[in-house]
Parts: sequence; C-alpha cells; structure tokens
Amino acid sequence: MTPADDNDLERKGGEDMLAAEYVLGVLPANERRQAAERIENDPSFAREVDAWELRLSGMAEAYEPVEPPADLKRALDTRLFAGGKTAKPGAGLWSSLAFWRGLTAAALAVAIIALAIPYFTVVSSDITTERLVASLSHDDTDVHYFVVYDAEKSDIGLSHVTGARAEGRDFELWVIEGDSPPASLGVIPVGSNVHLAVTGELRRKIEAGAVFAISLEPQGGSPTGQPTGPVVAAGGLTTI
Amino acid sequence: MTPQDISKLIVRVSMRDRNAFDLLYRQTSAKLYGVCLRILNDRAEADEALQEVFVKIWTKADRFAVSDLSPISWLVAVARNHSIDRIRARRPATDDIDGALNIADPTPGPEAAAVASGERAAIDRCLGELEADRAAAVRGAYLNGDSYAELAERFAVPLNTMRTWLRRSLISLRECLER
Repeated sequence: MTPADDNDLERKGGEDMLAAEYVLGVLPANERRQAAERIENDPSFAREVDAWELRLSGMAEAYEPVEPPADLKRALDTRLFAGGKTAKPGAGLWSSLAFWRGLTAAALAVAIIALAIPYFTVVSSDITTERLVASLSHDDTDVHYFVVYDAEKSDIGLSHVTGARAEGRDFELWVIEGDSPPASLGVIPVGSNVHLAVTGELRRKIEAGAVFAISLEPQGGSPTGQPTGPVVAAGGLTTI
Repeated sequence: MTPQDISKLIVRVSMRDRNAFDLLYRQTSAKLYGVCLRILNDRAEADEALQEVFVKIWTKADRFAVSDLSPISWLVAVARNHSIDRIRARRPATDDIDGALNIADPTPGPEAAAVASGERAAIDRCLGELEADRAAAVRGAYLNGDSYAELAERFAVPLNTMRTWLRRSLISLRECLER
C-alpha cells in the first residue's frame, strides 16, 4: 500500500472507523470517553456502534463462563437496593422518556419487535398478564404513544413520544376487542407522561388481548361515544 | 434458557422487576464474569467490575429494547465495554501483557463447536482471510482488551502502523461479513 492510500485511510476512515475502533476496544481512555458521550447524543453514531457490536459479536463466544464468588450477588443487592428504596415498577421505561422520544421510527419499530418477539415465540406457563405494553403509531401521522397497562393498579400509563394534537382538538383512547365497537378509555390528558384509570368491563376487554387506538376528537372527547375523527395511532397489546 | 427467555428477563428488568433481575443474574453472571476476568486478568478487579456491570444492566436495561443485538450479545457488550474502560483507566499500562498472552484462546471442544453459532462461524471464516498476525491482533484487542499501544509494542510496529493495520482489517472484515 502506498503512502497516499495510508493518508486516504487516515482521513476518510477516521470518522467511519471510530465506531469500529470503539467496539474493538483499542482506543485510549480519552477517546473512549468521547465516543461513549457521542453514543448518548448522536443516534446515527449509536446505530453504527450497534452494527459493529453485531458484526464482531461472534468472537464473544470464546469467553468461557466462570462462576463468580457466591457472596458477590449479596454485595450487589446491597449496593443496588440497600435502604429499602425500591423503585416503582415501570420507572425504567418512564424515566428514559427523552430517550424514547429521540428515536427514529425505524428504531422504534425495532424496539417494539424486540419487546414483542419473545412473547410470540415462547409459550410459557409463567407468563403473567400483570403488565401489557403497546406502541401506538400510524403510517400516515407522526403521532406515537408508548402504553403500559398495569392490571394490578388498573392503570394505563401513556408516554407521549411524538406528534402534537391539532389546536382545539383532543386525542381520545379506545379499546377495540374483536368485532365489538370501540369503547372509550377517555381523553388522553396533555403531557409527556400521563395516566388513565380503567374499570370493570374495560379491564376485561384489555386483558382479552385487545387493540388500542387513538382518534382525533373535538375538545373534551367524542360527543357520540364512538370515534368521530380519524384514527391517528393504533397498536396491539403485548404481554410483558 | 432460550435467547427469547433472556430477552423477556431484560425487558422485565427494565420495568424494575427484581425477581427477573435475580434470575437474569443466575443465568448470565458466569458468562459475564468470564468476560471481566479475561479482560481484567485480576480476580478482585473482576469482582468489582461484575457488580458495576449488573448495576448498569439494572439501570440501562431499557436500552436493550432499541438495540439490534441478541440479548447475550447485548449483555456481553455491556461487560466488555465496562471492563475495557477499567483497564484503560489503569495507569500506567501494566506489565501484565506477557501474562495476558499466556491465556490461550480456548479452542472449542467438539460439543461447543457443534453449537457454535452462525455468527461465530462467519467471523472465524473472515478472520481466516486476514494475515495471521493481523487476525491475532484483532482477536487480542476484542477478547483481551489490548490497546493500540500494547498491540504496537507486542508486534514491534509503530503505533500508527498498528492503527492502519487494524482499520484495514476491520474494513476487510466488514466486507467479508457482508458477502
């Protein structure tokens, strides 16, 4: 290879190869720190890093498992959970709302597949229906909500990812079970992280494996009890 | 446990499910400890690193949902990156390079080879297309966390040459894996 090739590789390769070098692990400490910060703030760089992790992951099978010392888990639990300060269920997803909101549609599709696949392919008796999740979106709009239904608390948590409601209009959430007409779960409050309470018959519909949909309605919700505006987002529920 | 089961556990951990966390630890801590131990080459440091790795898994499990990686690859990436950050923070570079070299790259037994994944077969094939010393440098970097500086010293070449070697090797690997 000629010196010109070297320079070319140095110049052009620098940017492209940073993700690869980060994954390979060869960078010095300061460059690793910079790359790690970029993963947090630059989604396209983060995807590049992910792609390299995927490419090189075959080598990781050479790591032989070694049982860690038996008392290590206790030390870890003390570190994480000492002081009885247990986090509320759901805190993980909700606390990273900014992260969800920053994702591209493609990444979200991947997210939902990652969430959904295990439950479609594994039939296991220990699966509970305590919590169900859904990603509500639509090809023709930018409206996107991430929904978690908590059976124990009869609560629906809605995380607003993208898409504003039109001036003077509201988003209304519906549950649709089979061929039955949609049943209203209420107008979605404005906010990035909101909740709706669920009662009786609606709980049964949700737990029967229904679909959620969001329609655009006059302020205060549909006057007829049925959706009157366009459906701006929809999605099926998946067991966690 | 199937990969799907591990995925399910990670998603439940992201919802702060401690039972899922305990089970995930039972199922994966040996593999991740193996990663920490190989890179750090020191029991006490690996003990500390493994705890930090599981703290990260507890706090960042929701990131898994947006990754293209298989669940085990994602967990290994957390452990590898954390361990490599730890050795890079050591100063100066220890003289343990000779010691690290003595850890043979374990050749999989017949059983392990039979279950070796397509990913492993593909990367092995593509590493086989590189010159032997460059393939060794790539493996050393990935598995043991060797830095550019350490690799340059071991192979007795200037640091920039090592950087060019590895960048070229990575480009070749990408081309080969995409064939």
